[in-house]
Parts: sequence; structure tokens; C-alpha cells
Amino acid sequence: MAGEAQNPLKERMTIHGELDADSFVPWIRRHAAKLGVTQAITHHSPDRIEIDLSGAPELIDMLEVGCLLGPIDVWVETIDRRPVGNAGG
Amino acid sequence: MTGSWVPVALSSDLPSGTVLPARIPAGPLALWRSQSGRVAASADRCPHRGMSLSHGFVRGETLSCIYHGWSYGQAGNCLRIPAHPGLTPPEAIRTVTHPVAEADGVVWVAVGEPAATPPGLAGLVPLRSITAFVDIAAIEAAAGAKATAEGLLDAGDIRLLLSSTREGETLIHVLIAADAGPAERIAAARTAEALRRRAEDIQKKGAAQ
Amino acid sequence: MTVGPMFDEWYPVGIFGQLDAAGRKTMLMGEPIVVARDDNGDAKVTDGTGRSLPVCVRYGHVWTSLGDPKKKLFAIPEADQPGRRFVDVGVVRVRCSPLRAVENFLDIAHFPFVHTDILGAEPHTEVQAYKVEIREDVDEVWATQVEFYQPQAAKSASGGITTQYMYRVAGPTSTVLYKTCPPRPSEWDVITLFVQPLAEDLCDVWPWMALFDDDTPMTDLIHFQQTIFLQDRSILENQVPRLLPLDPGMEMPTRADLTSVAYRRWLKRHNFTYGAQLVAQ
Repeated sequence: MAGEAQNPLKERMTIHGELDADSFVPWIRRHAAKLGVTQAITHHSPDRIEIDLSGAPELIDMLEVGCLLGPIDVWVETIDRRPVGNAGG
Repeated sequence: MTGSWVPVALSSDLPSGTVLPARIPAGPLALWRSQSGRVAASADRCPHRGMSLSHGFVRGETLSCIYHGWSYGQAGNCLRIPAHPGLTPPEAIRTVTHPVAEADGVVWVAVGEPAATPPGLAGLVPLRSITAFVDIAAIEAAAGAKATAEGLLDAGDIRLLLSSTREGETLIHVLIAADAGPAERIAAARTAEALRRRAEDIQKKGAAQ
Repeated sequence: MTVGPMFDEWYPVGIFGQLDAAGRKTMLMGEPIVVARDDNGDAKVTDGTGRSLPVCVRYGHVWTSLGDPKKKLFAIPEADQPGRRFVDVGVVRVRCSPLRAVENFLDIAHFPFVHTDILGAEPHTEVQAYKVEIREDVDEVWATQVEFYQPQAAKSASGGITTQYMYRVAGPTSTVLYKTCPPRPSEWDVITLFVQPLAEDLCDVWPWMALFDDDTPMTDLIHFQQTIFLQDRSILENQVPRLLPLDPGMEMPTRADLTSVAYRRWLKRHNFTYGAQLVAQ
């Protein structure tokens, strides 16, 4: 995948807010797939969702920017990100 | 055969390095020809923020959106996001594209799974296209002849290739013999124009309902 | 779509200087209104039933509301600063949501492509990271530390410069930008976009400016801004959907779109949805 050629980041993204709508998790999966970002949702509860991500930095930024809005029935308060070691090379 | 070839434009109306809006029943298209002359048909919507791609510009073998400059290859894959030049866009970021074929001076777009090649025009060549604000039924009523499944209509003194672009609107390609001289070409254009007017009167009077 | 909380906000409905007694028939979120001057020359706005609506005159424009606004109209201190030229640019009608018009105004990544050789040019297309926040005290969206290379940043600029920008959203359809002032580097030029929502997919846009520029004739200042805005209109009227999506599920916003996303979050939190699309499709 051309996107992977650069040094892909591996990050954990933590989303806080009013997230209990069952629309948000599928929304995140669709949006990540659309951006070519590899994701694994490791936790989701009504106020917190944690996702392990891998992809080019700009693409993870794009996922974050999209998640700041998400579907209409969700309110995201904050998104935090921290690297979890580098993927590959 | 579960699909069809739609005659969306004439080759002569699509020079190299240009893009133009076209339509198939599924929706608007951005039809473009690269510098090297290859034609592609993309959904007329940039995945970034929904700008119409037929307002964009062609540079080399890529089509760029006029809003933020995102550029796409012939297969629809995004090649460049100017605001973030360091990013090589992944395969996933792309526009929807439709297979295109060019034959006998007509650009055809495949809808569904049509036959391998578009229908032949039996030696005829396109003269020009005109848009009529009627349904195909009104044109058939005006011409007193039925169009084939591929949109070919032979009314004796005139031969047309029809494509329904949207409800109440039909794209008409006027066809003439390959060796038609100037007098025949002018006559064909006039006949087509008269037929378009008749069809629009018929549609207005509701006769074609 | 019922109007909702946007009902009680202030909106621009005309240029005060151009008002006469006969008045001007127009619309505000689907309601017919008449904007006129009363006997002692003050602005007067009446609705379809002839009832007088709240009115104020500020920044060269007449403002009104269909409901009863909780707050006074937002402040722009620079409007009272001596030495500035105040420019009523006029009005441009645009077939798109009033919220889309504001979103376009907040965006810089389009400068090289839509305002080529004026507000931007290739290859200077990269958008550096900038800061965006919703300032809780004033309840406004602010983008700061924005900069971009501009071949002709303003009529007063001679040659290309790296321009500093700040963006501010002070009302659901009112936005102000502060940009480097070429003749006076320590000051900001102020350019605003006051948008009158006629319907969910139709608006009248009233740009207004407060600039330091003693040389350029007024008509050239107006022409410069109108040219820029007509370039934007050709984008705004060919974007799908016409309404502003609050769910970006059918879009791909990047970090450069952060101000637009903050604006949409601010609209979402306030339930300012007149002109918005709630479900992406």
C-alpha cells in the first residue's frame, strides 16, 4: 500500500464525550476504512472509546478531525492521542 | 446482459486536457480526457468536501478538484492533497469511476455489466449533440419510430442516438453517413432541430403521456 | 425544518446607508420582512403581519431578529478605531446554505485554486498547523496562528507576503477575519462576512471591511472584495449537498479543515441547524 511506505505511526486514540449511540463505532470503522487507516477498537463505553491506529500521520489526523464531529447523535468532548511504538522499519 | 452502454458525449466535444459534466441514470459524471488522450468517467463529486469535479481542471494524466486541488488518476485514486504535500494518499482515498469505451466518435459509459463493447453504429458517424427537454417517448412520437434498447432511432430522413440524462431531459446525438457532404450535414442538423421542437410541443401538450 | 434556536439570533438584512422610506422587501429564514427608514430616519424592520422586529444598526448594516435575541450584537472594537476605511461591499446572492457560505470563508486551503494569484498560488499550497478553539467566555469559535503565502493579500500589498490570519465566528452566520495589514504591520485589517439566511439553501452575503489603506479608491476596494467573493460563489453553488453536513460521514476533512470542523461542532452544540444536514448521505 503506497500509504504504508512512509513511516506509519502506531497510536492509541482515546475519545471522551456522550458516545453511547450505537452509531458511533460503525461510523469510526467506516471512516477509518475510507482513509486507509488500520484500526482496532479496544474499548467502548457510553463515555469513552479507545482505538489502536496505524497509518500515515496525516491520515490519523484526518480520522481525529472526522471523529470530532461523528454522527449527529454523538457529542465528542475531547480526543487524546499517544504513540504506542512505531510500526515496521 | 445485465447492463448497458450509455452514449454520454461525442469524442469531438472532449479534447485532450479537458473535463465536462455528463449524466447517466445513476447520477452526474465528470467526463475527462487526459493529456495523452485517454478518457475516464468519475462520479461528479470530490470525496473531500463534495465539490463538483466537472468544474475541475486536467493536468497531464490527472483530474484536479477546483476547490482544494485534490488530484485523481484515471482509475479514480487520489494522487495529491496540496494542503498536505507530505502525504502520499493511500489507495482507499478515491472517487467512484465507471468503465468508458470510445468508438465511432462516441464516448460510452458502462452502466452495470454490459456487453464487452458498445453497439456499432452501422457505418454512421456523429454530427453533433443537442439536449431536448423531453422524454425519449416524445421523441419517438415526433419521429414516428421506436428507438432500440441502445437508443438508436432510425426515422428514415434522420438517424439519432438517444440517451436519457434525467427525467424530462434527453441527450440527442445526430448521426450521418460517414461520407455525408456539407449539404447533407446541414439538412440533418435542421431536421434534428425541427424534430426536437416537435417533440417538445408534443410533450407540452401531454400527447406523449 | 423548524428554525429552532437560530430564531433568536441577529442577522444582517441591508446596508443602512442605502435605505430609503420605501424600504426593501426581503426574507429571513423563510419569513417575509420589510427593511425601511422611519420618519426620523431610523431603521425599521417589520414582519409579514406588520409587527416591528428588534433592530439595530451596526458596522454599516441593519440587523434584525425574528425572535428576541438574548445578547447584544457581537462587538468589533476595530469598527470604532480612527484612521480605518469602512467599506460596504454590497450584497451577493448565493444558492447555498448560509452555513456553507460561512464555512467557505473560514477555509484557506482553497486560496491557490479559487483565488489564484490573489489570495494564493501554487506551489505555496501547504497549510501549516494552526490553533482552533471554542472560547467559552464569549462562546465564539477562534482560529489563530494561521499563516499563508499570498501574492496579492490586499489592494494595499505590493508584492507577495506571508500573511497572518485569525478567524472568528461570532454568530451562526456572522464571521470576522483579521489579517496582516500591509501598510501597518502592527495592526489587523478586518474583513467580515455577514450572511442573511433567506432559506435553508439560499442566502444574501454582505461582506464588510474595516481597513487601513489611505491610497486605494473606494471602488477598487469594493471591486477587489467582490471579485474574490464571486470566485467563491462559483464553488458554493456547485457543492453537494447544498446544506452544511454536521456529520462528515460522506466527506474527508483533513487537519487543514479544522476551523470548519470547529464551526460545525459549535453549530451542533447550539442546535443551530437551519441550513444544516444532520444525517450524511
